[in-house]
Amino acid sequence: MIWDPIILTFQLAFITTVILIIISIPISYWLAYTRSTVKPVIETIVSMPLVLPPTVLGFYLLVAFSPSNAFGNWLDHTFGLRLVFSFEGLVLASVIYSLPFMVHPIQSGLSNLSTSLKEASYLMGKSRTSTLFQVLLPNIKPSLITGIVLAFAHTVGEFGVVLMIGGSIPGQTRVASIAIYDEVESLNYDIANSYSMILFAVTFVILFAVYTINGGFLKRFWE
Amino acid sequence: MIQFNVQKKLDAPGGEMLLDLQGEFPQGQLITIFGESGAGKTSLLRIFAGLLMPETGKIIVNQQTWFDNRKGINLSPQKRKIGFVFQDYALFPNMTVQKNIEFAAKNRQNKKEITDLFDLFNLGELLNKKPETLSGGQKQRVALARAIASKPEILMLDEPLSALDHVMRSKLQDYILTVHKKYNLTTFLVSHDVGEIFKMADKVIVLDNGKITNQGTPSEVFSNKHISGKFQFTGEIIRIEKEDVIYVVTVLIGNSMVKVVSEEKEIHQFSIGDKVLVASKAFNPIIQKIQSK
Amino acid sequence: MNTLRGKITSINTEGHLSLISISVKDVTFKSIVIETPQSVDYLKTGNTINVLFKETEVVIGKGKIQQISMQNQVPCTIKNIEEGKLLSRIDLDFQNNEIVSIITTNAIRNLDLKVDDKVVAMIKTNEIMLSEL
Repeated sequence: MIWDPIILTFQLAFITTVILIIISIPISYWLAYTRSTVKPVIETIVSMPLVLPPTVLGFYLLVAFSPSNAFGNWLDHTFGLRLVFSFEGLVLASVIYSLPFMVHPIQSGLSNLSTSLKEASYLMGKSRTSTLFQVLLPNIKPSLITGIVLAFAHTVGEFGVVLMIGGSIPGQTRVASIAIYDEVESLNYDIANSYSMILFAVTFVILFAVYTINGGFLKRFWE
Repeated sequence: MIQFNVQKKLDAPGGEMLLDLQGEFPQGQLITIFGESGAGKTSLLRIFAGLLMPETGKIIVNQQTWFDNRKGINLSPQKRKIGFVFQDYALFPNMTVQKNIEFAAKNRQNKKEITDLFDLFNLGELLNKKPETLSGGQKQRVALARAIASKPEILMLDEPLSALDHVMRSKLQDYILTVHKKYNLTTFLVSHDVGEIFKMADKVIVLDNGKITNQGTPSEVFSNKHISGKFQFTGEIIRIEKEDVIYVVTVLIGNSMVKVVSEEKEIHQFSIGDKVLVASKAFNPIIQKIQSK
Repeated sequence: MNTLRGKITSINTEGHLSLISISVKDVTFKSIVIETPQSVDYLKTGNTINVLFKETEVVIGKGKIQQISMQNQVPCTIKNIEEGKLLSRIDLDFQNNEIVSIITTNAIRNLDLKVDDKVVAMIKTNEIMLSEL
């Protein structure tokens, strides 16, 4: 079925984005406010996927999760979790790969907020958590949206990591970018073109939305 | 009673500065903190509020220890019962004026008290507005109302009036005095306007380079001699004109201009912009009603 | 502002008001203030303080003064007169202390005041302020 890779791609992007929101908020919060000396180390690790070739990341994940090595074997036996050539593995790889695209906007949004907002809330007796959710996050909506959209779009567009750790199992790991590659290899230019068009259009729409929102054009409809 | 003795090293523009402060304030006073910028005024407030941790020392408020580095006590800002008005007002941009105040007041059940606050600060028309649409004076009023909403015992104002014009300023000074008395607060106000200090403060502490260099009532601190005249104001000379054998000195006091006659022998010591004390005896001014309550 | 230095000789307090007597040279000045020895610590018999009063509050009398409510009467000699159109300034010598009086030029003409005249400078009790040194 021609739509399978497209649906799989968006499933992967959606799940990855949801997981990223959950884990990036605490990471960004910590990075924005910590004075710890290990901050540069954590920042570097989070940012690595920006510069590292995706195949490097994919290669190490492949080695780590392969059932033929001790860790992969343990995962397989204890949890029945096989992370190579599986959808779960793809999700994990995508989360790591797209992490900086979610963390950076939220972190810079939080650091740009006046610290007095946070302090005012504390002095009203509000806990850190309720300050985060009721005061800080609502005031960095554009950063949150940027993070969500970028992480989603970036996951849609990934190729190298998926190729290394996912392979091309139809309905499981054969996402659109892989499908395009396969179809071109088999000289099915028509099908490759259809996938490409869809990805092109969707990516355009998503990025266009980000720039419009951040440019403030949508603000009046937003409130 | 607030007793404190705290030390902290601060990174100041002119290098490292040691903040070394000790003192004692009875409850219910309005205390102004006066000093040059960079003298440690804001840091003093932040240390009291628990937003800045001293390296050594103690803060004891009404027999309760807020900070003691030897015993490892450092009460969180949440537990200190302080209403704080920040220099940038720190109104939450995502909430309307009403939500801002209700958010601060969430821990109290009495709806009536909150609507009383809206009335006291004349917030009626502003309730549904977002902070970004308010003028400086309106933001200030909302920030003050919000600081009171959480029912603090201590109110702290970090130079909140410096950005406002004279008329606004004097109105807000009145609001601050009203809430200070009405809610029986101990109030700390950072200010570098001597006139404002004379109008508002029971006590003034002068900070210089991280130390308290002088303290007392405003007249003890700012006029080196105590004058018995009861009709006293401080203001700024804005004009000096010779008329016949006398001089008429125009002095701006708050937002009103008054004129004082001076003469040849003393006029040479005055120049425009000088801060002056204007005094007369309580026996001289007449008093007349202009509006019935 | 005229400033004279004197010593408090007596304090008479009633409620929040005090009537203070201060001797300056051989003249006793009286001042009524809304202060008491409890409210300010410079109000103590024997203390040296400043007696302050405005030039424009100094009344000039010449010749024999029959009956007048002014308690503070200071015998002086006119040192200098500077006449303006409406107001004039008179510099007075009170036992080597200077007192300045500003009165209308008309009044000077009516009393026919001239340099070296012996006059009495008078100030109402409620016009005198006190200040610590």
